[in-house]
Amino acid sequence: MKKSVFQRIICLILCVTTLFSVVVVGASAGVNKPETTAASLKEMQQLVGTTTYAEYLETIPESKEGLTTIVIDNSTVTGSAVKVSESTECQNSMMEKPDAWAQFGDNAENSLYLPSTGEATWSVVIPESAAGRYYIRITYFNCETSESSISSIERKLFINGEIPFAEAGHLNLTKYWKYETLLSSTSKASSEKDFYDVEYYTERGGENPGYFKKVVKIEDGIETVEVYQIHQDINGNSMAPDITQLSKWGVYYCQDTTGYYHDYFSFYLESGYRTITLAAERDPVIVKSIELVPADDEASTLRSYNDVLAEYKANGYETAKDGEITHIQAEFPDFVSDSSVAATNDNTSASTFPSVSNAQLYNVIGENSYNTVGQWAAYKFTVNSTGLYKLGMRYKQDALQGMYICRTVKLAGGKYGLSDGTPTAPFEEAYDAQFNYDKAWQSTFVGDYIYLDKDGNEVDITGYRVNSDGEYTDLDGNVVDIERRERPFEFYFEEGVEYTLYLECSLGSLKDLIRRVQNSLDKINSHYLRILQLTGNDPDEYRDYDFYGIMPEVVRGLLEEAIELEAVKQEFETLCGTTGSHITTLHTIALLLNTMGEEYGDAIAANMTTLKSYLGTLGTWINNSKRSSMIVDSISICPADKDEKVLPRGDAGFFRSIGFELSSFFYSFFTEYDQMGLTTIPDEDTVTIDVWLATGRDQSQIWRTMIDAKGSFTENTGVAVTLKLVTGGTLLPSILSGKGPDVYIGLGSTDVINYAIRKAVYGVSGNDPYLDGIKINPNTGAPASALDRDAVSANELFSNNYFTYCKEVKNGDNIEKVYTTSKTYKGEECADGKLTFKSLTYDEVIADNFVPAAMDTVILRNKCYGIPQTMSFAMMFYRMDVLANLGQEVPETWGELLSLLPVLQTNNMSIGLTYGSALNFMIYQMGGNMWKFTDNPDYAGAKIGLDTNVAKEAFDYVCRLYSDYSFPVTFDAANRFRTGEMPLIIGDYATIYNQLVVYATEIAGMWEFTSLPGYKNEQTGYYNYDSLAGIGATVILNGCDNLLAAWQFLQWQTSESVQSNYGNRMVALIGPSAKYESANVKALKNMSWTASEYEAIELQMNHLSSIVNYPGSYIIARYTEFAFLAAVNDGADAVEALSGYIDAINDEIERKRIEFDLPVLEEGQLEPPTTVTQ
Amino acid sequence: MSQTPETNRPVKRSEVSKLRWTWQEMKNNKTAYFMLAPFFLLFIIFTILPVLLSMILSLTDFNMLEMPNWLGISNFIRLFLNDDIFLLACQNTLIFAAITGPVSYLLSLLIAWFINELPPKLRSVVTLIFYAPSISGQVYLIWKTLFSSDSYGWANATLMDLGIISEPILWFQNADYVMPLCIVVALWTSLGTAFLSFIAGFQTIDRSMYEAAAVDGIKNRWQELWYITLPTMRPQLMFGAVLAITNSFGFGAVVDALCGFPSVDYAAHTIMHHLNDYGGQRYEIGYASAIAVVLFVIMYSCNVIIKKALSKVGE
Repeated sequence: MKKSVFQRIICLILCVTTLFSVVVVGASAGVNKPETTAASLKEMQQLVGTTTYAEYLETIPESKEGLTTIVIDNSTVTGSAVKVSESTECQNSMMEKPDAWAQFGDNAENSLYLPSTGEATWSVVIPESAAGRYYIRITYFNCETSESSISSIERKLFINGEIPFAEAGHLNLTKYWKYETLLSSTSKASSEKDFYDVEYYTERGGENPGYFKKVVKIEDGIETVEVYQIHQDINGNSMAPDITQLSKWGVYYCQDTTGYYHDYFSFYLESGYRTITLAAERDPVIVKSIELVPADDEASTLRSYNDVLAEYKANGYETAKDGEITHIQAEFPDFVSDSSVAATNDNTSASTFPSVSNAQLYNVIGENSYNTVGQWAAYKFTVNSTGLYKLGMRYKQDALQGMYICRTVKLAGGKYGLSDGTPTAPFEEAYDAQFNYDKAWQSTFVGDYIYLDKDGNEVDITGYRVNSDGEYTDLDGNVVDIERRERPFEFYFEEGVEYTLYLECSLGSLKDLIRRVQNSLDKINSHYLRILQLTGNDPDEYRDYDFYGIMPEVVRGLLEEAIELEAVKQEFETLCGTTGSHITTLHTIALLLNTMGEEYGDAIAANMTTLKSYLGTLGTWINNSKRSSMIVDSISICPADKDEKVLPRGDAGFFRSIGFELSSFFYSFFTEYDQMGLTTIPDEDTVTIDVWLATGRDQSQIWRTMIDAKGSFTENTGVAVTLKLVTGGTLLPSILSGKGPDVYIGLGSTDVINYAIRKAVYGVSGNDPYLDGIKINPNTGAPASALDRDAVSANELFSNNYFTYCKEVKNGDNIEKVYTTSKTYKGEECADGKLTFKSLTYDEVIADNFVPAAMDTVILRNKCYGIPQTMSFAMMFYRMDVLANLGQEVPETWGELLSLLPVLQTNNMSIGLTYGSALNFMIYQMGGNMWKFTDNPDYAGAKIGLDTNVAKEAFDYVCRLYSDYSFPVTFDAANRFRTGEMPLIIGDYATIYNQLVVYATEIAGMWEFTSLPGYKNEQTGYYNYDSLAGIGATVILNGCDNLLAAWQFLQWQTSESVQSNYGNRMVALIGPSAKYESANVKALKNMSWTASEYEAIELQMNHLSSIVNYPGSYIIARYTEFAFLAAVNDGADAVEALSGYIDAINDEIERKRIEFDLPVLEEGQLEPPTTVTQ
Repeated sequence: MSQTPETNRPVKRSEVSKLRWTWQEMKNNKTAYFMLAPFFLLFIIFTILPVLLSMILSLTDFNMLEMPNWLGISNFIRLFLNDDIFLLACQNTLIFAAITGPVSYLLSLLIAWFINELPPKLRSVVTLIFYAPSISGQVYLIWKTLFSSDSYGWANATLMDLGIISEPILWFQNADYVMPLCIVVALWTSLGTAFLSFIAGFQTIDRSMYEAAAVDGIKNRWQELWYITLPTMRPQLMFGAVLAITNSFGFGAVVDALCGFPSVDYAAHTIMHHLNDYGGQRYEIGYASAIAVVLFVIMYSCNVIIKKALSKVGE
C-alpha cells in the first residue's frame, strides 16, 4: 500500500493550503478584534480567588510588627501620577478656590495628583530587620477638579502587583462635605467671660424665613456669632441646602468598607524591594505621602470601657456638676462624609423639633441616606464645665425588628483623636453603641448593654440563650438569673475645648455574626449552583438524582449551613435579648436547608424553587442588617449624673399627638405639591413658562430646586417656571384642549415625531416653516405682533445668540431685578447690568453634547423637534465569578457567545437576551437599516428595509438564537442573573444596573457590564457592536407664547452641567440605584460611575445606532414580533414569516404618508428614488 | 260668565297639540324633573353627548391635534372594504361574545340557582367565593403567573415535570392558545354583578307562589324554574343580559394585560382593541369613532334581540 509520489505531492499541497488559509483567517480576525472593556478571564479568576481579610490575617505571622514608620518617597512614583505643581488641570481648579490653594501652602511641590483613571506605583525597600505588619497611612488632599464626582474617592491597593486580599480592592478615602447653610458670621470685642451657646429656631414668613442655628462663642474677649439657615420655599417647606466638598487635608489609614472589620488593615511586608500601587476607581485625589506605620501603633489597641472607667476614677474625674445640657439638633451637621447624608423631614411625631403640621421642615437626619457602613455626620460642641458627660439621643429605629443597630462614636478635639485631627473611638465599646428597635421615637443615652448576674457581677453572655419569654437560659434550657442592663457611656470633656463628635454607621458587635451569614450565603449559593448544574432550573422531584452519591460534600454542606445559621440566630437572640421577625428569617432558612440535607438529600429536588427564593431573602436580609437605618432628631450632651428625664421627650403625649395628626390631616387638603420648592410667586409682568414632566415626585422636586437655586435658571434669565408633575397620558388631551404646557420634559422620541408631524411641537433647529408664522422682535426675542414691521420669524431664535443682562433697580424699599435681553453683546457688564445668561444657537447646543444616533431620533426631514434628555441603550452584564469558575472569557463577539453557550447549557445555564431589542440591533450590527436607503429626504422612511438581504439575515439569525440555540424567550433577568443561572444578560444599562445595585447586593462586586458582543462582517473583517439608542427629549409645544424663554429653558435643562448636577442629586437623594441615563454625553462623565464603568459606557456610546422615526413606525415592532413568534412557536421559516408582513407594513406606512401629504412611491416602485440632480 | 267654567275645567289630551301637552305635563311635574336634573345633566354631558360626538367625528379625519376635515362616509367604506384586521376583529369579537356572553350568563344563572338552595349562612360564604374574582380588580393577572411563558411558570413547569413538553410554551404569545385562554379567563371573571342580581332575584320571589303553583299542577323543579322563578325575576334577567353583552363585547383590558397589545398575530384582537389601536396608537380618532359607532350598533341590536328573547321566558 505504498503511496505514489504524486499522491504525496497532492497531500503536501493540500496541507500547505489548508494551513495557510488557517493562518490567513486567523490573522485577519486578529487584526480587527474589537476593542473591549470587559474583564479578562485572568482578572476574573483573580477576583474570585482572592482571600478575605480574615483569611489573610491567618496567613501572616502575627507576632511580627513593623519596626518604625517608613515614609515612602514620592519621587519613586511611576504611572499616572503627576506632581501637583506640574498638573495644569489641578492648578486651574485650585486657582478657582483661593482658600483651597492657601491650605495647600508649600505642599504643592512634593504632592502628587492622581487622576480618576490609571495607576500610580510607589516603590520602597524594606530593610531586613523591618519586615513585619504595617498599617498604610495616606495623607491626602480632597481636591475638586473637573474629574470629581459626588461619590467618595475609591482606590484599589496592590502590593507587588497583587491585591493582598479582597477588601483591599475597595478603599474609600473620605471626602469632607459641608452644607452651605452659613448665613452670616460676625465678630466683635466682648467683655463677657468665655461662653458657648447654640440655639435653634424657625421663622415663618417675613423677609428671611427658614430654620436657623445660631452659635454664639466668646473666646479671649472676642464674640463670634454665626447664623446658619436652611431656606424655606414660599409655603414654609425646607429646601435642600447646597453641599460643597471641603478642600481639606485628611489622613487615611487603609481600612475596611464592608463593616466586618473595624481595625485598620495590617499588611505584612517582607523585607526587600516592594511596590505599592493605587489604581483609580473613582475620583482624583492629591497624595502628599504614603507611610508604613508599624501595626502596634497605639491608635489600634483600644482600651476597654472598664479600663477607661478605672482611669476616670484614678484621675478623680467626676460628673460635671455645673454642666449645662447642650442639645444639638442632628439636622445641622458640621461636616458629613457623603453628599447623601442629608437632613430630611419627618412628621411622624409632634415632639420632633421643630415640627409644623402644614409644611415639611427639615428636622431630622438619617433614614435612607445615612445608613451605609462608614457614613458619618460630625457635630462640634463645647461644654461649660469640666467633667464627665453622657450623650443622650432622640431617635427612631424601626427598621430591624427585634435587633439593635450600631453607631461608632468617634471623637476629636482635646485629648481625643490623633494628633493630626483624625477622630478615634475613645474605647473599644464605642464601636458598638447600640440602638434598640421600637416603632415609636425613643430618647435614651448612648451606650451598650451589660449582663449582670444576681449578685450584680458582670458576666460573659456567650453560651447562654434566650427563650421565647425573653429570659436567659443555659444550653439545657434552664432559666438563669441574668439581667440585661443599659450602660450609658461616660466621656470626659474639658471646659472651653471644642470637640467634634462623629457618629459613624457601623455593624458594631453584630459584625461577626453578619459576616458569618454572608459566608454562609456564599456557600449555599455555590451549593445551589452545583445542584443546578445537575438538575437544571426545574428539577423533577420524582426523579432520583442520587445527590449524595454524586456530590456528598454539597449535601453535607447544606446541613452544615443549617447548623451554622441556627447557631447565628441563637447568638443574635442572646445579644439582642429578644427575638423578632428579622432574626427568625434565619431560622426559617435553616429549617429548609435541614430538610434538604436530610435523608441523603432526597428532598433537594423538591425544594430547589424554595431555596432559590430563600437565597434572595437571605441576600436581602444581609443587606438590611448591614444598613443601619435610623432617624436622629437630636443629640444631648449632659452631665453624667443626670437621668433620662432631662432628655427631650421620646414620643409626644396622647393629646398633643392627636392634635398634631388632626391638623396635619386638615392641612393636607391645602398643600400645593406643585409649588414644592417655589421661592417666589411670579407677578404679572414676569415671563412665565409652564413646564410639565411625567416622572416621580423626587425628580420633580429636584428640578424645582435646581430651577430656583441661587444663580440658576430663574435668577439668571428672569424667566419664572411653573413645574407640574403630570401622569403619562395627560399631554395629548391637554394639547387638544389648548391647556398644554410650553415645555415638556422627557417625551419619547416616537412621540416627538408623532407630535411633530401633527404640528404639536415646534422645531428647534431654526428651519421649521411653521414658525415663520410666529413673529418675534429681532432684537429682544420677545413675541411680537404680526403687524410689527420689524418682526422676524421665530426661527431666528435658534440661529442667533441672545444675551440676558440683569440690573438691580431700587424701587422704594425693594430691590427689583430688571432683565433685558438683546441680540447684541454688550460686554460682561454694561448699562443694562451684568450678563447672566447667553442663549445659544441650536448648533451650539447640540455640538459635542449628543451622539448623532440620538439626534437622528428627534429629527424629521432635517428639522429637529426636541433636545435629547435621556438616552438608554442595551449593554451586556456578566457574572465574573460564574465565568471564572467555568474558565470562560467574556464573549466579545456573537461567535464567541455562541461557542460559550454549550458550556453554559451543559451547566444548565443560559443567556438572557430580550428578543425585541435583539431583532433591532442585529440589523444594524450586520450593517443594515430599518429603512430603505435614500439620500432624498422627501422619500426617507418611505419603504421598510426589512426585505433587504441584510435585514432578513439578521432576523433569521436572531430567530435561530431562540429556536435552535434555545435562548429563553421570557425570563426574569435580574433574578436569574442573581442566582447565576444567567451569567450573561443583555439589557438597558441603567435599568439593569439600578436594579442589581439594590436588589442583588449579595453579588456586589461579582458583576460588571461591557459593550454588546460584536458581529463580524465577513467581507470587511470588521466587527460592529452597535447598540440602539432610545431617546426621551425635551420639547417646546405648539402654543408656547414665549419661545425665547422656552428655548432658554431647553438649553439650560439639557446642558452638561445641569444634567450632571441633576444626575448627582438623584443619586444623593435616592441612593446608588438612581443612576440617571443622561443623553448628554459630557454630563455622563461627571456622574458617579466608576472609571471602569464609565469607560464601558463611553465605548458603547461611541457605537450607537438608532432607528429613525417616520410616520407609521409603530407598525414595525408589531409585525416583526408576530413574525418572530411565528418562527419560534410554530417553527415557521423566519424569513418567510417576516416576508409575509412586509406588504402590510409598507401599506400602513404609505397610508400614513398620504395622511401627512408626504410623497409616496408609485405603484410597482420598489426602491425609494435617490436625489435626482437636474 | 259662561266662559269661566270652560277655563277652569281640565284640558283634555285631545284638545291640545302633543308638544303643548308634554310641556303642560312637565310643568305639572316640575319637582320630579328638578330632582331628575342633576343625573340627567351628567348623563347628557358624559354619555349622550360623547356618543353623538363620536358619531359626528366618525365622518371626519380628526387626529386629536389638528382641526378635523369632513370626509363623509369614507371611514366606513374603508372599515368594511379595506381593513382586513377589522374583519378579523369582528370575527374574534363575535366568537368571543357568542361563547362568553351566553355561557357566562347561563353559568351565572345556574350557579345562582344552586347557591340559592343552600342554607343562608353557607350561601353567603359561597357567594363571596364565586363573586371574589370580579371584585378583586386585576386579580386575573394570576393567570399570567399560571400560564407564564417562563420555564418557571406553573403550567410550563408542571408540563415539563411530567415530560409532556421540553421547551416552555409561550402561552400568551402563541396564536394557538391566546383565544381559548382569554375565553377561560373571561368566564372566570364573569360571575360579577349579574350573578349577584340573580341571587337577589331568587330571594325576592314570593314562596307562596310556589305553593300555588304546586296546587296548580307544577310537576318538577324545571317547570318551577321556567314558569315561576324566571318570569318573576325578568328585570334581573334583563339587567344581567345587558351586562353580559357589554362585558363580552367590551372585553379588552384583560386581553391587553395578559397577551400584550396587540395580541400575537391579532389572535385575540377584538373590535375594542381595534378601536384602541387607531384611537390611541395611530391618533386616528375619526376612524376610531367609526369603529365605535359600528360597535355601538352591534351592541344595541344584540340588546334588542335579547329583550325580545327574554320576553318569551316562561311562555
